[in-house]
Amino acid sequence: MMPPHLWYLAPELWVAGLAALILLVDLACKGKGSREIPLGAAIALLPVAPILLLQVNLGTRTLLGGMYRLDPLALFFKVIFVAAGILVLVMTREFSRTLERAHAEFTALILLALLGMLLAASSASFLMLFVALELITISFYVMTAYLKTDARSLEAGLKYLILGSIASGLFLYGIAWVYGAAGTTSFAGLRQALAGRTTLSPGLALGLLLIVSGITFKAACVPLHLWVPDVYEGAPTPVTAFLSVGSKSAGFVAALRVLHELFLPASNQWAGLIAWLAGLTILYGNLCAIPQKNIKRLMGYSSIGHAGYILIGVAAASSLGSAATSFYLAGYLVSNLTIFLVISAFWQAVGSDEMADYAGLSRRSPFLAAAMFVALLSLAGVPPMVGFFGKFLLLLSAIQEGFLWVAIVGAAAVVISLYYYLLLVATMYADPPKDPTPIPVSLPVRLALYACLAGILGIGIFQEPCVRLSLAAVRSFF
Amino acid sequence: MGPVSWILLLPFLGAAALLGIPSHQVKWVRRIAAAATGIPLVLALFLAAAYSKAQGGFQWVDRIPWIRALGIHYQVGVDGISAVLVLLHALCSFTGVLISYRIKERVKEYYLFYLLLIGGVYGVFVSLDLFFFYLFYEMAVIPMFPLIGIWGSGEKAYATMKLTLYLTAGAVLALVGLLSLYLISGIRSFDLIELSRYLAQNPIPGSFQRWLFPFLLIGFGVIAPMWPLHSWSPIGHAAAPSAVSMLHAGVLMKLGSYAILRVAVGLLPEGAYTWLPWVAGISIMNILYGGFVALAQKDIKFLIGYSSSSHMGYVLLGIACLNPLAVSGAVLLMFAHGLMTALAFAAVGHIYDQTHTRQIAEWGGLARQVPFIATAFVVSALASSGLPGFANFVAELLVFFGSWETYRLPALAAVFGIVITAFYMLRAVRTGFFGPLNPRWAGLKDAAPFERLPYFILITALVIVGCFPSLLTDLIAVSVPSALSPLEGLQVVAMR
Repeated sequence: MMPPHLWYLAPELWVAGLAALILLVDLACKGKGSREIPLGAAIALLPVAPILLLQVNLGTRTLLGGMYRLDPLALFFKVIFVAAGILVLVMTREFSRTLERAHAEFTALILLALLGMLLAASSASFLMLFVALELITISFYVMTAYLKTDARSLEAGLKYLILGSIASGLFLYGIAWVYGAAGTTSFAGLRQALAGRTTLSPGLALGLLLIVSGITFKAACVPLHLWVPDVYEGAPTPVTAFLSVGSKSAGFVAALRVLHELFLPASNQWAGLIAWLAGLTILYGNLCAIPQKNIKRLMGYSSIGHAGYILIGVAAASSLGSAATSFYLAGYLVSNLTIFLVISAFWQAVGSDEMADYAGLSRRSPFLAAAMFVALLSLAGVPPMVGFFGKFLLLLSAIQEGFLWVAIVGAAAVVISLYYYLLLVATMYADPPKDPTPIPVSLPVRLALYACLAGILGIGIFQEPCVRLSLAAVRSFF
Repeated sequence: MGPVSWILLLPFLGAAALLGIPSHQVKWVRRIAAAATGIPLVLALFLAAAYSKAQGGFQWVDRIPWIRALGIHYQVGVDGISAVLVLLHALCSFTGVLISYRIKERVKEYYLFYLLLIGGVYGVFVSLDLFFFYLFYEMAVIPMFPLIGIWGSGEKAYATMKLTLYLTAGAVLALVGLLSLYLISGIRSFDLIELSRYLAQNPIPGSFQRWLFPFLLIGFGVIAPMWPLHSWSPIGHAAAPSAVSMLHAGVLMKLGSYAILRVAVGLLPEGAYTWLPWVAGISIMNILYGGFVALAQKDIKFLIGYSSSSHMGYVLLGIACLNPLAVSGAVLLMFAHGLMTALAFAAVGHIYDQTHTRQIAEWGGLARQVPFIATAFVVSALASSGLPGFANFVAELLVFFGSWETYRLPALAAVFGIVITAFYMLRAVRTGFFGPLNPRWAGLKDAAPFERLPYFILITALVIVGCFPSLLTDLIAVSVPSALSPLEGLQVVAMR
């Protein structure tokens, strides 16, 4: 019989154990790990899904001296993280030829980042949240610079390291200010201390501002977005994919915890600021995406744009806004990873990330082109894809809370984003291919793409279950 | 599940079935597409024939709660107005599928997008829930992008991007309006029937209606196409393959005026009274500007394109009048113009596929070479000019009579517009089809017997409705008063 605490921690323990196991096996094999390690890790992660489903019935409980908590919001995000982890590992296998070395180490780093994400979702204290976010970021520092012979990868790693350290410093300094003003770092204690406070003392306000700055770095929002395009372009593709969905979702779960769970009573103090950031982020990301030629860079700017959309839900500070944030991230996961799966399959066959080389993809591989088409439409917010309903909820929450202008900015940006997404569609479908050889799609990638497409269309058409889950995830905050 | 849901579902099922067929099985691809549009045509005829005029209201309503937390329901059904428009769409889409036999390249993909487009348009006409209404509206726009971008001609890359962005911009503007309307109404339901019943008792304050109405009017007006937002449309028509032009000019443009009538006027009556006089003014620009620009066109598809935006001016004028006679005329005109313009594009497409030029001046004397196609084009030109015996005549007459009561000046402009139409249409017929035959076209082939079916269908429908307009006007007359009922008791501010 397992002690009850361990059962609550089962997903984290599983992932940590898997990472350790892979490192040990690698040690035993003297670093000659096979290329199939990432795929093995992906399969080994599959049992976490039923564990998470079983945990739904456990209810809310705080463990480990008030550091760790399992609640519906944590579970919702853990499903997102684990799904992202599995898909990224599938991508890593595809990428392994470019990786060339130390597949086991790379796989273990992905699992460690995943562990950090799981812990971030379950944090019940600022200290835990900080440690979890650092675990994510430090794993990414290493993975970003993994291609030792590629100058762009090294540049990306250095950039991410320097800017990430600054952001971590801001975040930690903010925690110090909050601790100084409220006398505790535990969320339960803070929620009590902040209840009913509609205005913040200067110390708390400064602390909150610093913490939010740290979070905007993780989530890739204006004003701490400058690292995104270079890092997205330079990092190995699976790392970029994991950054764009995993790291971003971790940033947003932290935002929901801090702003909606703790600082909700003072929402009139920060909601306007977040709304401005949302508007600026949406416009910056989408406008800068227009002239891009490299698809990973394009996805970098597009990811900034999407971060802006998700901020709308944070700014709305209502149960609808909070639920919209969670829903949008779930939809963003399947849509964005579809695109990155296609990018990595394309890279594996063609060795290029330039958008011009995607010409005629619909004839070289109708399946990859169709998957990309559907995912791009989903990102642009075209029904019946899941991205549409995410935007629908976000705009609804914005108008409900009186941010009509943000809704109009968001609506206008749909048109802008459609423009650059459709340019890529036109390249894939209307332009003749330079090289008509078919592009092979390996079985794991094919299966992963089927799963993602099922998610895009399934959640997009039958929205109710996911809407209900995302509303349930944030019910206790409001 | 009633017949309306089947009409909506069949094109999507057809598209799904196409995914499972290897792309070299062109025959089966065509058969499935024909079935997925032919069965809805039969069902649409049944709806128009079996709609109970005594009972009125929305019939064959299917309702499934979809997202309870937000009050979203899958709800479809038809009234007299939507039954007529569903029939129009059924006719245009089925004949469009038949016309598309000329497509030889990437046939499966073509029909896939075409069926998605068709399903989306059906969705807009039958949805009785604002969420699904919007969803289908946006869904109908997107398949146009690959359809024009891949199978189009001329400046297709520019045209298709412009069209998609214009229509999406309109759609998202309307979305912001719809969401505001949902939140302001206060009953938390997207159900159109429930919403209009509630708003009849508890109307939205007039000040809200007045700022909300432009969102919907301009948003849906883009596709209507309302001057000066029409510029996407002639370019789009010209670049699209003929079957897509048929749907685009024949049906898609009607989505805008239908949405304005059903949603904007139906839910925001005070806003309508404030803003629709402006639309009456704008409709003069549509009619005259569109007409004069059409006069100057040398490319036949651009000519029909501008002529379409000119004729949609009559529809906008009819709706702006807000009286039953004019609105009935507008609805019938949507039907008549849709058939006429589909016929014109089908005929032009047949010629263009062989001549590869659409310059009217380069044609010349084609009636001798392709008498059947020439007849079809002449029929559409005569119908367009308002010749008695065709449905357009009845519809335009209703709009003139109805608008004369409310807006004298625009009504006069509309009558003058008919003269312009007759001028450019008949001139195109004379230059392109009569006179000496241009020797370049001596090898031109007329439509083979089996290719004539779509033309027969369209001409027959135009003539039957022209001779027995009551077949449709009775249907329309049942539902127009109830569509306009929210306006009762409001002060009419007429611009005489």
